[in-house]
Amino acid sequence: MLRYIAKRILIAIPTILIVSVLVFTLQQLLPGDPVLTLAGEERDPQVLAFLREKYRLDDPIPVQYFAWFSQVLQGNLGISLRTDIPVLHLILSKLPVTIELAIFAMVIALAIGIPAGVIAAVRKGTSVDYAANVIALSGLSIPNFWLGILLIMLVSVRWKLLPASGFVPPSEDLWLNIKTMLMPAFVLGTGLSASLMRHTRSAMLGVLRSDYIRTAKAKGLLSHVVIMKHALRNALVPIITLSTLLFGELLAGAVLTEQIFTIPGFGKLIVDAVFNRDYAVVQGVVLCTAVGFIAMNLLADVLYVLANPRLRHAR
Amino acid sequence: MIDNVALHARSADTTGATHSGRDALLRVENLSIRFDGAPPDVNVVDDVTLSVAKGKTLCLVGESGCGKSVTALSLMGLLPTPPARIVGGSAYFGGKDLFRMSEREKADMRGNQTAMIFQEPMTSLNPVFTVGDQIVEGILRHRKVSKSEARERALEMLRRVRIPAPEKRMQAYPHEMSGGMRQRIMIAMALANGPELLIADEPTTALDVTIQAQIISLIRQLQDESGMAMILITHDLGVVAEIADEVAVMYAGKIVEAGSVDKIFMDPQHPYTIGLMGSVPSIGRRQGKLATIRGTVPPAELMPKGCRFMPRCPFADVRCVTDPPPLAEITPGHSARCWYAPLEIHRGGVA
Ligand SMILES: Nc1ncnc2c1ncn2[C@@H]1O[C@H](COP(=O)(O)OP(=O)(O)OP(=O)(O)O)[C@@H](O)[C@H]1O
Ligand SMILES: [Mg+2]
Repeated sequence: MLRYIAKRILIAIPTILIVSVLVFTLQQLLPGDPVLTLAGEERDPQVLAFLREKYRLDDPIPVQYFAWFSQVLQGNLGISLRTDIPVLHLILSKLPVTIELAIFAMVIALAIGIPAGVIAAVRKGTSVDYAANVIALSGLSIPNFWLGILLIMLVSVRWKLLPASGFVPPSEDLWLNIKTMLMPAFVLGTGLSASLMRHTRSAMLGVLRSDYIRTAKAKGLLSHVVIMKHALRNALVPIITLSTLLFGELLAGAVLTEQIFTIPGFGKLIVDAVFNRDYAVVQGVVLCTAVGFIAMNLLADVLYVLANPRLRHAR
Repeated sequence: MIDNVALHARSADTTGATHSGRDALLRVENLSIRFDGAPPDVNVVDDVTLSVAKGKTLCLVGESGCGKSVTALSLMGLLPTPPARIVGGSAYFGGKDLFRMSEREKADMRGNQTAMIFQEPMTSLNPVFTVGDQIVEGILRHRKVSKSEARERALEMLRRVRIPAPEKRMQAYPHEMSGGMRQRIMIAMALANGPELLIADEPTTALDVTIQAQIISLIRQLQDESGMAMILITHDLGVVAEIADEVAVMYAGKIVEAGSVDKIFMDPQHPYTIGLMGSVPSIGRRQGKLATIRGTVPPAELMPKGCRFMPRCPFADVRCVTDPPPLAEITPGHSARCWYAPLEIHRGGVA
């Protein structure tokens, strides 16, 4: 098992290298001269030249890349052109907010998606199944921003139940933190719960037809044991993988949601950085996201193997 | 031609006794089953009557698709309804009406008084649980015993089905075992609660020839030890001759001939049974298609109005086209569904 993980990490290295090149190159294609942004009102050519020199913006691009990447490997993602704060520091301060939002959303998605999928599969072809499918389809097709604004209008403005925006760290006021996270997490989680529901449903339908389910019934097991233990345990194998991959997507989806609810997370960091042409921050954030994605893929594979005795022993 | 078959019928003295149904453990009468979407009035299982006495073995034989598994699953309450529908008949097990039980009563019975093993050992065990846990689970479901007592019992079952290194095997997952070993696990699981009736649906069809004989002799030995009754579904007439007390031959959803193993092998009356016997030597001990009789079973849409075997029958005439023959008794405990049975009388000798 450990050898398998080590092998997977080795395979991930070239991917990360390619991503880093892409991140760096795409960066160069962004319109606008960062020096002008940096200099603000200042247009003195000497100042501009000094800034170019300081941030090595005139070196050939491969040189810039290697300079940048060797720093990255040492954990130095550069310094924000805008704020003069180290990029790593910025990321580390924003990341927990987004991760909290994503975990929250994931919990909501799992809590809705899996039971709904199981029920839809067990009651296949009945009105319950149709209702679940219709709700799932609407959940998938309603855009997050629309649902977000709708919720803000109803829950915050009309009913005044939850705060419309803002963020309070859990260390400061846990209850308020949960209250501010609830709506954004719900918005982020609904689309996800819909696809989880549909995947759970089809996985369950496949499993329920299998011979070992017939064996479980032949033993006289009661139907809830057959469904919740024998069937669900097998159906969860692909669902675990899917959830892990979806979690990566959640982090990306958080960008928009954080904008709607003005949550100072990763998403807001990247949007601000792009608008400000804050090269170093954009590079750092995209690189972190990519590494996060690769890590999630790795985790998905490992969990799949762990959940699957046949593979677990083969490794 | 029957000499080629080793006739080891266990006892001749049971002839007729089981068929009267008086001391029957299981009695099925006029069972009819159809599937939704199939043409109306063509039942997949039609008017099936059979019975099994305590400790005896009934072999159910017939071509692929003739409804053997559907019959067996319906008796276990394992037939998915819908699409299947029991449209007629009754089944009594030890005096209890199997088709009028609640789901809960059926579940209490399954794996306890009745048990079943299946055609597909490779896929019949849950891949994510150890075989030990899967056997233990069935014991805990029906017996008020502690977990460790259940494990002890499971271990004993593994020994009884001759699994080498049973302690180690308890922890194994199904994929670590061969088909033969998995079928042994299935048998251990089925017999763990000492059922009165075991339904074995082609338990060796999916296995290697050498393993087939081992599994059959294991089942037979376990049956002798426990005194349970058995319905064995098989294609293998060699096995039938070896372990059956009674035989029921099915064709296209109907029982076409039933009787003691001696009667069926020595004096087959239905043209289909005679055809089966004719094909025995070429099968030998291998599993294989029974159908060396020309033609195939007609699909449901083309099912003849009269005798279902008519299109393939060398003796068929006008009456067979129009009227379905009843299952009629020829001698006590031996019946056939043919207008011309006994053939010696009506057709002046066969063979
Ligand atoms: N779920 C189902 N829906 C529709 N028809 C079915 C279904 N299951 C079985 N059948 C039909 O019922 C008939 C009898 O099938 P069954 O499995 O009982 O045959 P069998 O005698 O056990 O054959 P084999 O020797 O191949 O196991 C077949 O013609 C099959 O097409
Ligand atoms: Mg079958």
